[in-house]
Amino acid sequence: MSAFNAIDADREVDREEYTPGIEPQATWCPGCGDFSVLKALKGAMSELGKDPEEILLVTGIGCSGKLNSYFDSYGFHTLHGRALPVARAAKLANPELEVVAAGGDGDGYGIGGNHFTHTARENHDITYIVFNNEIFGLTKGQTSPTSPKGHKSKTQPHGSAKDPVRPLSMSLTAGSSYVARTAAVNPNQAQEILVEAIQHDGFSHIDFLTQCPTWNKDAKQYVPYIDIQQNEDYEFDISNRQEAAEVIYDTELALHDGEVLTGRYYQQEGRLSYTQEKQEIGEMPEEPLAERYHDDDYEWERCYDMLDAHR
Amino acid sequence: MPEDLNWAVGGEAGDGIDSTGKIFAQALSRAGRHVFTSKDFASRIRGGYTAYKVRTSVDRVESVVDRLDILIALTQRTVDENLDELHDDSIIIYDGERSMMSDFETPGETIGLDVPLKRLAEDAGGAIMRNIVALGAACAVSGFNIEYLDESLEKRFGGKGEAIVDNNKAAARAGAEYVEEEYDFSAPYDLETTDNDYVLLNGGEAIGMGALAAGCRFYAGYPITPATDVMEYLKGRIEDYGGIVVQAEDELSAVNMTLGGARAGARAMTATSGPGIDLMTETFGLVATSETPLVICNVMRSGPSTGMPTKQEQGDLNQMLYGGHGEIPRFVLAPTNIAECFHKAVEAFNLAEKYQLPVYLTSDLSLAVTEQTFEPEEFDMEAVEIDRGKVVDEETIGEWQNEKGQFKPHAITDDGISPRSFPGTDGGAHMSTGLEHDELGRRTEDTDMRIEQVDKRDRKVDTAREREDWGYREFGDAEADTLILSWGSNEGAMREAIGMLAEDDIDVRLISVPYIFPRPDLTDEVEAAEETIVIECNSTGQFADLIEHDTLSRVQRINKYSGVRFKADELAEEVKAALGEPTEVEA
Repeated sequence: MSAFNAIDADREVDREEYTPGIEPQATWCPGCGDFSVLKALKGAMSELGKDPEEILLVTGIGCSGKLNSYFDSYGFHTLHGRALPVARAAKLANPELEVVAAGGDGDGYGIGGNHFTHTARENHDITYIVFNNEIFGLTKGQTSPTSPKGHKSKTQPHGSAKDPVRPLSMSLTAGSSYVARTAAVNPNQAQEILVEAIQHDGFSHIDFLTQCPTWNKDAKQYVPYIDIQQNEDYEFDISNRQEAAEVIYDTELALHDGEVLTGRYYQQEGRLSYTQEKQEIGEMPEEPLAERYHDDDYEWERCYDMLDAHR
Repeated sequence: MPEDLNWAVGGEAGDGIDSTGKIFAQALSRAGRHVFTSKDFASRIRGGYTAYKVRTSVDRVESVVDRLDILIALTQRTVDENLDELHDDSIIIYDGERSMMSDFETPGETIGLDVPLKRLAEDAGGAIMRNIVALGAACAVSGFNIEYLDESLEKRFGGKGEAIVDNNKAAARAGAEYVEEEYDFSAPYDLETTDNDYVLLNGGEAIGMGALAAGCRFYAGYPITPATDVMEYLKGRIEDYGGIVVQAEDELSAVNMTLGGARAGARAMTATSGPGIDLMTETFGLVATSETPLVICNVMRSGPSTGMPTKQEQGDLNQMLYGGHGEIPRFVLAPTNIAECFHKAVEAFNLAEKYQLPVYLTSDLSLAVTEQTFEPEEFDMEAVEIDRGKVVDEETIGEWQNEKGQFKPHAITDDGISPRSFPGTDGGAHMSTGLEHDELGRRTEDTDMRIEQVDKRDRKVDTAREREDWGYREFGDAEADTLILSWGSNEGAMREAIGMLAEDDIDVRLISVPYIFPRPDLTDEVEAAEETIVIECNSTGQFADLIEHDTLSRVQRINKYSGVRFKADELAEEVKAALGEPTEVEA
């Protein structure tokens, strides 16, 4: 039993428990894909029976960063691009917490790209949802790292000269042990994938296509979509890195041809998380370090013997 | 002025200079002698000049001086670099059989002892022990009981097996015997030993030890000179106390990880130097506005930009005080010596948690690389108290909930301090954000609430001013007309300079300030003095500016920004010049 009384409370949790009592209506635009992320997350957490108070939801900056304003749990709205270091450290300090990080495509694949790479590489046991709308929404419609080549915006009036980043390929290469893409228009699949991602032991990355009806009008609503697990054209083994890489490559190309492929791309079972790796080599305690602190009667260790090494 | 011996070993980076010097310093400490060390080094792995200098006395020593009595020179350049510090009685130990030293001629009247270091080492079991032979020779020259060197060798090489230890002891003896047999002179020094029990450590180690004693159990960092010692000290020790050290991908990640660890409930710290502070400043405002306790250790080095990474400077004071957009409440502590690094580290954690804001713990290169002896009692573990501030648990949480049962992490209080609940605590769920927020942590742009929250955060600083001791350390003559103000690491050299000035009938009062913000109000002290001189290692006088701002008085400034710390004798001369007294150079 954890010293933190909300952890492992083991009870039924209604999805409405994640709806904050006082927050005004979400300020996302009507038709925004972000609503679907919120809905899927509530559904997934409820399905998993997670107490709101054992969840830490860490967000970056942008429309996506408001996710935890509308989701009742412990929430931390951090800086642009920095959600992942905060999230993974909280998980290290208290592995019993259910830690979810979320941000936009600019946040995760642009300004926070280095953190994305290294968090994936280290395989922290957290879930990362990237709201991918291929645009900067909150700053009103500038080109983002995932905007397609040729995409016109106020900052690229003649069309973007850059190829977009390949988020799923980046993720796979960096070392994510669970890689999936879902879309706002597919709520059932979104919830299923979130449940899997949260349950997965290791770093789970979900590229969540969230249409921006206000600033990316020419972008698709991400319909019709194809669930690659339900389509016989895409039969492959998601535990096979090479096969996953090929399907991911096709998926990223297809999106800009108007074909929306979604589903699970890669899942590596059995790989140790960073916490487990550290424990294996004796660099991390088995007992969550945050827990020691929380005990009122905790006797702080005195470090007398440290001085002896200096004699 | 203490009866001191100044000793150095120098050569190229890669010659093992550092460990050789440390072995000798350790031996002196074991012999009950005080030690103060310094290093000349460059930012490179091999080549270039590097030296480890040891000043030792039976009295406490707290600075370096411009004098070398015994020099082990592995290269010609070692001698060239130290010509100014050598005097007629200086002894230079060198290996004339080393090709690069075959034409070596001792400068001036100095005494050269040609000792075949490498050959004697090979006879004892391996050329790698060349420096140990030199240490043995140095023992003979300084009249220092070689058995203390044995103890130090046992400590250094004990883990490698008895044979290695014995070989090293034999190598040391070969060096000593060679000097005694080949050179017909009696040791000009006779290093007295005492039964005193000392510990020898540097500023990085003292900060690491203080952090551990203070209950720091989460450290995330990115290696940078000269702050890496803190991380390396914690690594391998923090695990024994149930904590972790994480090496992050960059300083942005390091500080945000520290923030994440702190929010989850750990006492957390990161350490870096100027270039890292630049990056971490991004997160500084979030730390303050989310009211998260965080300790950032800044081991200053010479800037701007990459500057001189292995050189001394106190150039980051304004950066720490003012860095970051918007108005960010923060504390800045600047320990004035190595023992104080320990105590201020403990204090930094308590202040951070009591007032829920970022705390800079700043030292500098000269504190970081200096090894100094202290009485073990100066690191009193029993006296360490841990105050986590207003943390709530399931029993106390009710006091901080609104009528709907919602927790108020930014509750408006008289003292400005709000409660903290860690994730996982029932009834404590809340949002926290870098946006302006209400008592519940929900973002707001309400003008009244904005003002209330800003005032609340500022009020914490006022509360801290009232509740905590922000005093200074004082030395010299409290009634003197001349007031010297110092911050951070200059204290030791200035303390010794006081004695030198007294010999010329110049009395000074030294106020050494360990708190930059909040800091003591020195108006009365400055007004009472006829002359106030602020000493610091930067070119513009950043601390002097603060003093002028605080006291509305003009002060004199002694600034050093060559990359080398103040030396006691140099400071004495500078103070004399500032007072219009004849200096040694003029006289």
